[in-house]
Amino acid sequence: MTQQARLLLVGALALTLAAVTALLALEGGDPASPLRHGYLPLVVAAALVWGAPGGAAAAGAVMLLLGPVVLPEIERSGLTPEAVEGLVTLATVALAGALSGVGTTRARGLRARYETILAAQRALAGEPALELALARLHAALSEHLRADDVGLVVRDGPRLVVTGGDGVAPGSVAAQVLAGAGAIFVADAGGGRRPRRVFATPLGAGAEGVLVVEREGELGVDERAALEALGAHIGLVLANARLTARQRRFAEELEVKVACATRRLEELDHAKSSFVAVASHELRTPLTALQGFSELLAARRLPAEEVSRLAGIMHQEARRLGRIVNDLLDLARIERGLAPALHRTPVAVETLIAGVADVFRRGRATHPIVVGYEAGLPRVDADRDALERILTNLVSNALKFSPPGRLVRIRARGAAHGGAVEVEVEDQGAGIPAESLARIFEPYYRAPEAAGTARGAGIGLAVVKSLVEAHGGSIRVESAHGVGTRVVFSVPAVP
Amino acid sequence: MWAIEHPWRPAERSFFAETPAPLLGALALAGLGALALVELHALPEAALGVAGVAAGQGALLATALGWAGAGARAGLVAVALLAIGASAAALHPVGAVAYAGVPLWLWWRARRGAPAALGLAGPVPWGAVWTGLAVGAFLGGHLLISVARTFGVRLRVDALDLVLAAVAYDLGANVPAAEAFFRGALFDRAQRRWPLGAAVALSTAACVTRYMLDPRLPKSVEVIVGAAFYVSLVAAANCWLFRWSGSLLPGAAAALVFFTAYRLLSPP
Repeated sequence: MTQQARLLLVGALALTLAAVTALLALEGGDPASPLRHGYLPLVVAAALVWGAPGGAAAAGAVMLLLGPVVLPEIERSGLTPEAVEGLVTLATVALAGALSGVGTTRARGLRARYETILAAQRALAGEPALELALARLHAALSEHLRADDVGLVVRDGPRLVVTGGDGVAPGSVAAQVLAGAGAIFVADAGGGRRPRRVFATPLGAGAEGVLVVEREGELGVDERAALEALGAHIGLVLANARLTARQRRFAEELEVKVACATRRLEELDHAKSSFVAVASHELRTPLTALQGFSELLAARRLPAEEVSRLAGIMHQEARRLGRIVNDLLDLARIERGLAPALHRTPVAVETLIAGVADVFRRGRATHPIVVGYEAGLPRVDADRDALERILTNLVSNALKFSPPGRLVRIRARGAAHGGAVEVEVEDQGAGIPAESLARIFEPYYRAPEAAGTARGAGIGLAVVKSLVEAHGGSIRVESAHGVGTRVVFSVPAVP
Repeated sequence: MWAIEHPWRPAERSFFAETPAPLLGALALAGLGALALVELHALPEAALGVAGVAAGQGALLATALGWAGAGARAGLVAVALLAIGASAAALHPVGAVAYAGVPLWLWWRARRGAPAALGLAGPVPWGAVWTGLAVGAFLGGHLLISVARTFGVRLRVDALDLVLAAVAYDLGANVPAAEAFFRGALFDRAQRRWPLGAAVALSTAACVTRYMLDPRLPKSVEVIVGAAFYVSLVAAANCWLFRWSGSLLPGAAAALVFFTAYRLLSPP
């Protein structure tokens, strides 16, 4: 209702009251006149339009207007039937004004409360971001609470989201409610010609936020109780919104994780398929050599030197076959989550390195192999065969991925932190691209560049890493494109 | 927003803080002294009226000024002006014009923004003042009609000089003191601590009590009941006017018009 309409209504009511009174006076001021009943609908109408204050004001006005009619009658003639009728009319009007006014005010209060709750729910519908949700809620509450100022403070992890202010001042009413002080009512914030009532109530049971209402006007006990209920309701709605958002985020994360896992499984599946093809080829090569040379030896009589040469080749191929089979067995154990079985004994690293280097020098003399040791190296506590396989694998890779004639270095030194020996295999090959560097220890992984240039099933480095870690050591790789690759692993020294 | 951006601690100030107790004590002693001297015939009876106005209305006005932070000196000036007005009025009915000193002095202070807390500073809320005049006219008219119809009392048109002297007293002492204390100080302080209903009840009850204790009130049941009824209505209406406008002027206008109507009645 606009101010103008309100004034018009008040004027109309006052005029009608005056008219009824004037007619009553013109009739001779009889307190039992039927005209007195004209007051009742006016009082009820005022109560229905303006609630309790309207009903009380209209009833008061009627009592003031009817009083000078009833009281002189009592003064003159005592409690005559006419005077009693007048008194009953006064009482009826007062009762009607009070009852219908209070009823109207209560009904409006309830309606306003439900409308506010509904507006709050609407503001938070659609799962908007917290800032947007609070801005909407702030607008809805400002409209429905008839307040001069409405503020909301909500915890969002470590930060506070605030509407209706720039930030929460330490010691402020909002800060005290957030700290768990419960609802706070301040009768006057001060500074104004009229008292400014302030009420702050926690949002939800856990004081996860605060609803603040400021009004230059009354903020009665009933209204404060309604605001507390509203705060609890908003807290619940916010908690639900948060839960829904978290569930949605969780579902999205899960979706991403499932997609990643699926992609990984697909890659693994592809890698395994490639592995089967490569491994078959890897196994067939030494088998073909063994089969061919053994047939040759069986079918022909060859000179002793030739027999010895062929036997040497067959031995070499058999060792290669054995290495591949060992790698496959180790890989199977790794995939089952088992550590390789080790038979630890004190091993002199220098001797082992010299032996492996000699084997490679004898086998293929395509690359110069340089060996170096730090003086006084301690012996390591390791499985000799496993250590030999680690070194063989790394040297084999270094030879495989560097052009003929380039140097391959094998060095051993004591670890900087002590208690271990570090062995380093360095080549001068093309290097490993950065994007592949992180994955070279994954089973079946082969760098795209390597897949086209060298043989291998992509299991050697996975086995190496597993063997090193089974010893309690660590392995790292450094590589620069066009410069070469250096693999360093450590094995614990004998205590 | 205040509740979010400003630190707050529960107020520890007493309800009666800044009451000029020494001045009130002195006024009480002066009043009692005057009463004793009049009883001993050392002073004429008119001196008791002067002392009563200066002590009674002065106590109300000085307390209101003290609560508004104007200081004890302002209270002393108010008491002095009331004493001058009462003395002049006691000498001759025309002397009642001297009561105008109090509202003029308050107006002068208001122009300087001094008793802002009393609701005397700031622009005049004309809408509320007109409403106050209407409320006063309605209640005053109602009083005249009711009394005339019920008790057959007539208007005192034959002693207009006495009526004007009484109106001058109301304008210069009664209304300013009552409005300043019961609305500007007591009601304002109460409404900043308690709900509106409680503040209105306290202020109205205190105001009614003050008029019931007034020695000039005729001691008949009808007058006492009528006075209590109408003073309650005027007091409650003035609380509402003060709350609505934040100014004492609308309530003062209502009270002045009502008391003018009251002064027009012939004594029973």
